[in-house]
Amino acid sequence: MTGLVAALLLLTALSGLLVVLARDPRRQVFALSGNGLVLGLLFLALQAPDVALSEIAVGTAITPLLFLATLAAIAMDRAKR
Amino acid sequence: MTPRQRLVLLGLAALVLMPAVMRIALALPAFGAPEAELGQAMNALVPGLRHVTNMVAAVNFDLRGIDTLGEEGMLLCAVTGTTVLLRGARGESGRERAGHLPGRPVTPRADATVLVCRIAATLTLLFGLSVALHGMTTPGGGFQGGVIVASGLLLLYLGEGYEGWRALIPPPVLAVLEGGGAVLFVLCAGLPLLAGHPALQNLLPLGEPKDLYSGGLMVVVNAAVALSVTGSFGLLLVEFLEETREPADDPVPEDTLPEDPLPDEAER
Repeated sequence: MTGLVAALLLLTALSGLLVVLARDPRRQVFALSGNGLVLGLLFLALQAPDVALSEIAVGTAITPLLFLATLAAIAMDRAKR
Repeated sequence: MTPRQRLVLLGLAALVLMPAVMRIALALPAFGAPEAELGQAMNALVPGLRHVTNMVAAVNFDLRGIDTLGEEGMLLCAVTGTTVLLRGARGESGRERAGHLPGRPVTPRADATVLVCRIAATLTLLFGLSVALHGMTTPGGGFQGGVIVASGLLLLYLGEGYEGWRALIPPPVLAVLEGGGAVLFVLCAGLPLLAGHPALQNLLPLGEPKDLYSGGLMVVVNAAVALSVTGSFGLLLVEFLEETREPADDPVPEDTLPEDPLPDEAER
């Protein structure tokens, strides 16, 4: 295991911990997005570029946006009442 | 269940499962060891059999193509279900204005943001197209290309705002892409059956390795997956972002209203 992979594994664990420890849902979404980016880099370092592409597009861009849209929709629904 | 009971349950479950987990974990190849026999066999055989250099695409679209057809069906069902669920609660009328949370300031987009988003979105869309087209030669393929195109649509949203974005992206086109891709995949699997061959039999000429057209039927399947994934993820984005549009008096069909008002609403 090279130093790069070890460092990325450590970063993955740390960013995953941040997702769990963030209490505000919106911060949690951004922590999740960061975790997705680190995971994508890890997959790239492990020579799986196709998995890295999917992870970065789905895990860093699309999933967080769906969460943000949901949070905004919930907030608007509450503001309306 | 009290926390103490949960801990006891956790301990018991760990006691039962640990030996099996340890045994499997110790029998696995070492981390990063490139000695998986199936992978080595693929690397040795597939370039000669299918004339492609992307083994993952060959496995996904040809050697276990029927599994991919099932996954395609799952994606189609999931996105259709989400769309029906959201549209059912929201009504079908297309309201073009974004909603606004009272109390949160609305800052107009800076010109620089719009410019950067337009440039980045163009590059991302082109990159997604390139990844999808080169599915047989380099890592990537239909799924990856499709989700990259969808994240390019997201950049367009960031730059243009909700109204401009909705004017650019017509959901019916996305729905046609989604369903059309799935139909194309089913045709690829079914037409060889009609001719008396196994499903997804690679009957087209295989082409030259490392060429844009290489792998025969895989090129068509790859295109089908790219269309379907682009449509699915694009539709998903539109449906979720429509939830944030201006909340207004959309007529909700009578029969979907709850029969009795909820208790806390009756008090008000």
